[in-house]
Amino acid sequence: MNNRIKEFRARNNLTQEDLAKKVKVRRETIVFLEKNKYNPSLKLAYDIARVFDAKIEEIFLFE
Amino acid sequence: MIKNMKKAVIVFIVAVLVLATVGVWIFSSSGNFKPTDILSFGVIILVVAFAVFIGIRRLTSAKRGEPPEDELSKKVMRKTSSLSYYISLYLWLVIMYFSDRLDYETHAIIGAGILGMAVVFAVCWLVFNFTGIRHE
Repeated sequence: MNNRIKEFRARNNLTQEDLAKKVKVRRETIVFLEKNKYNPSLKLAYDIARVFDAKIEEIFLFE
Repeated sequence: MIKNMKKAVIVFIVAVLVLATVGVWIFSSSGNFKPTDILSFGVIILVVAFAVFIGIRRLTSAKRGEPPEDELSKKVMRKTSSLSYYISLYLWLVIMYFSDRLDYETHAIIGAGILGMAVVFAVCWLVFNFTGIRHE
C-alpha cells in the first residue's frame, strides 16, 4: 500500500509534528507512514483523511 | 505528560541501580577478572545504554506533548515480545546443552541466560523499530 501523506501534508503546510499531534500519534509513526514502512489501522487512516479533508482512497493507494 | 515523564524517570533510576550493583560487584571482587566477567560487564553496559535510550525517547516525547504510546509503538512492542520470547526458548535450549559441558556455577549460567534474554529483546526492538512493520 502506498500513500500520498507527504504530498497532502505539503499542500496543507503541515509539518510531520503538526500532523502527528492532530491525529494523536508519535512523529515517528508519521515518518514510517510516509516511507511506506507501516500500514496504518483503519482508524488512523480515517483520522489522517479527516485532517486533510479528503477521502481515505485519495490518500492511501491500494495496489 | 507527567505520567510519561514518571516512567522515564523510573527507567533512569533502574539504570542507575543496575550500574551501582555492577560497581559494587567490581569493587568487592579481588580485581582478577576473567574474560567472561569482562564480557558480562560489556553486555550489562549495553543493556543499560538501551534502557537510557528508551528513557530519553520517552522524555523527548513528553516534552513534545506526544502520546507515550501509539498504535505503531504498541505493535512494535507486541512483535518484539513474541519474537524475543521465541528466540529465548532456543537460547535456553543452547544454555542447557552447554551447561553440562562447561564448568560454570548455576547462578552464573542463569545470569547469562537472563542477560541473553535482555540482549535478544533489545536487538528485536531495535530491528522492528528501525525497519518498521509492513503488510499487517
